[in-house]
Amino acid sequence: MMGKRRKWLPCLFLFISLIVAGCSSDETGGGENSGEAKGENAEEQVLNIANDQEPAGLDPHKTPAHSSIRIYSQIYEGLLTFDENMEVKGQLATDWEQPDDTSYVFHLVEGVKFHNGREMNADDVVYSFERILDEETASHIASYFSNVEKVEAEDDYTVKFTLSEPDATFLSYLTNASAVVVPKEVVEENEDLQQTAVGTGPFKLEEWVPDNHVTLVKNEDYYIDDQPKLDEVVYNTMKEESSRLSAIRTGEVDLTTLSAKSASLLQDQDGVNIMDYQSLEYSYVGFNVDKEPFNNEKVRQALSLATDRQSIAEIVWDGDAVVSGPVAPSMGDWAIDVSKEELYQRNLEMAKDLLAEAGYPDGFETVITTASTYPDMVDTAQLLQQQWKEIGVQAEINQIEWGEYIDTWSNTSADVLVGRNGSGTDPDRSLNYFFNTEGSANVWNFSNEEYDNLVEKGRKTLDKAERKEIYAQAQEQIINLSPNLFLVSPMNYVAVRDSVEGFTPYPHNGEEIVEVYKK
Amino acid sequence: MYAYIIRRLLMLVPVLFGVSVFIFVIMRIVPGDVAMTILGTDATPESLRQLREDFGLNLPIYQQYFEWMAGVLTGDFGESMRTGKEVLPDILNRFKLTFELTLISAVISWIIAIPLGIVAAIKRNSKADFGVRLISLLGVSVPNFALATVLILILALFFSYSPPVGYVGFFADPATNLQIMILPSIVLGTAMAGAVMRMTRSSILEVLRQDFIRTIRAKGARERVVIFQHALRNAMIPILTIIGMQIGTLLGGTVIIEQIFSLPGLGQLVLTAITQRDFTVVQGAVLFIAFVFVLINLLVDLLYSYLDPRITYK
Repeated sequence: MMGKRRKWLPCLFLFISLIVAGCSSDETGGGENSGEAKGENAEEQVLNIANDQEPAGLDPHKTPAHSSIRIYSQIYEGLLTFDENMEVKGQLATDWEQPDDTSYVFHLVEGVKFHNGREMNADDVVYSFERILDEETASHIASYFSNVEKVEAEDDYTVKFTLSEPDATFLSYLTNASAVVVPKEVVEENEDLQQTAVGTGPFKLEEWVPDNHVTLVKNEDYYIDDQPKLDEVVYNTMKEESSRLSAIRTGEVDLTTLSAKSASLLQDQDGVNIMDYQSLEYSYVGFNVDKEPFNNEKVRQALSLATDRQSIAEIVWDGDAVVSGPVAPSMGDWAIDVSKEELYQRNLEMAKDLLAEAGYPDGFETVITTASTYPDMVDTAQLLQQQWKEIGVQAEINQIEWGEYIDTWSNTSADVLVGRNGSGTDPDRSLNYFFNTEGSANVWNFSNEEYDNLVEKGRKTLDKAERKEIYAQAQEQIINLSPNLFLVSPMNYVAVRDSVEGFTPYPHNGEEIVEVYKK
Repeated sequence: MYAYIIRRLLMLVPVLFGVSVFIFVIMRIVPGDVAMTILGTDATPESLRQLREDFGLNLPIYQQYFEWMAGVLTGDFGESMRTGKEVLPDILNRFKLTFELTLISAVISWIIAIPLGIVAAIKRNSKADFGVRLISLLGVSVPNFALATVLILILALFFSYSPPVGYVGFFADPATNLQIMILPSIVLGTAMAGAVMRMTRSSILEVLRQDFIRTIRAKGARERVVIFQHALRNAMIPILTIIGMQIGTLLGGTVIIEQIFSLPGLGQLVLTAITQRDFTVVQGAVLFIAFVFVLINLLVDLLYSYLDPRITYK
């Protein structure tokens, strides 16, 4: 029975196992990886960051994902950046002047080198903006610079931009993490910059192991003395919040973003500091204003009066959120104080009256669509469902997966959609881009001529005080017309090990690390 | 025998063809748009159109399929829409991790399950048997993700330990690699062990009731010989079926476990690709997983005949 053992079978099994194990080149064998790079050598300054999503690609002109931006903004630089008060200051440009309302001349820092050793000059700036504006590139920031008519190099260190009309947003959009200077030869050699990265920034790309980590190393030729202080930065992809939590607890990583709930869990943890800052985001509920009953503004106003924004802040965000209008409060004095707005005071009687005037005395039935991927959006939808029930509006909740959600958003295939918007770094974005009839992200079918004229004027007005006045009016108008109900702007949290020095997160830049070092 | 193997391998062709058409069509039917997920809400209609054109999504679906298939047949699975990376090398690279995870989990589960299953069968209805049955019930019913999360939290809170971040290949640094792999393997191994334990117990009980066992015992064989040389070998077939299915499933990537432990395996690849509607990656990976699954089935069938010479394939 045991005699006629077929010896070839175990051999075959072993053979196949070996083939499988060895069938690909050992690309992941990055032995010198983050795992052991820590603290081996006291001189080595290595910062380990937990990234909650895998970067989508590293091409700054083509990739808007936050998981990518936090990495490539250490590699590339633009002409301008923001200081801590969100005022524009030079980065690759030392200074600039405005000969007239539609032209800007920038003087570049001299002697700046790309990571491949070549000196950066005005031609690179011209090439980069031509690449952003080229339809073939399919750049996500092309719309920011749609007014740019011409970009010319006047000499090696002078660049002139000519706009088709005055544009007050131009300078602040130049600070965008994607409006950066890239070297032509590297793009042409690789077709795009998704896998390679050659910039002028403080850190260079060392390696990217997919779904695992991205390692950046110090740019020894960086043109600012004493920066950066770190030798190496490792972004470890850790999608699971509980894994990030335990890794920051045990010091496996030095820095991670967290949800409000996890931040409170870490409050008393030794060796970990929790930093919070007001985000530039706000949550909203949007209506398809072409569809009944939402085509009637009284219905939308009634829903606004039935919405208790403060309880959304309390319940969804553990109290760590502030009631917000279309421009998030972290935008400083661009944002109006919404607490005085009539539609922000919960008033069920008035809401019922408005519904009756609109022809829905007994309320109506509807469906609230939201993304299952984000617990805060689901919680918000559930609260709205409860709050609106009190004026007779019966809402069902439809949770959909993220890819489908994006599709639903862009095709306006939901009547009521809960979501979150970034208010950008200029009020033009949240006011023009989402609600102008021609706005490229106006998916609500909303159109109001008076409002359009106002925000277009705002974009062309270069005087800051006058511009603020215009946007204050625009905010009042959009809140009253209610194509969206703006809800709350949450806090963002960063957990940092106490060995990390020199780190301060800002709303417009949650991860400035050039001055960071480890004790 | 060889003719049989060749025939089975040829049967791969219609199976894989069916899978390829199915996944190709499904990916295009589900709502969601790769250009939109890549460019996000800032995109202009022009850039979206341009990107879709770059991916050839403006062509008729049959033409898209033939172009993709023509590539696959020459070993070119195309490039990821999202990262521009070659799909096949990426799949193979991640498969190494998934393969290692599967192997360690399987070994852990056998070490736990088979001895305990045998003990439970021999000492039927004793306390030991109830203990084993309880353990296997827990193994089968406690969800992987719950066990994994609890394990991570307990180690972090009470022992200040969390596995090293970042993945290192086994050959690059065996010690670190095993440290990374051991927790997820324990989680997967215990879940697998539950089912194998039950199957071992019932299968051995079944065999012990048969006549030939009585004959062997009557000939005065020691109990150890009876169990390990005769009963276990005859009981192995149903156990092997379960193990084969488990391994086939695990080799397709264990999405949740890989996600919780941040392991760059096949499961992570497919999940990320699905949420981003990265068609080429999903198609390539699903095709690869189907291929592996069918191959494992074939191996299990061949092992049957090794364990039980009465089973022959013609």
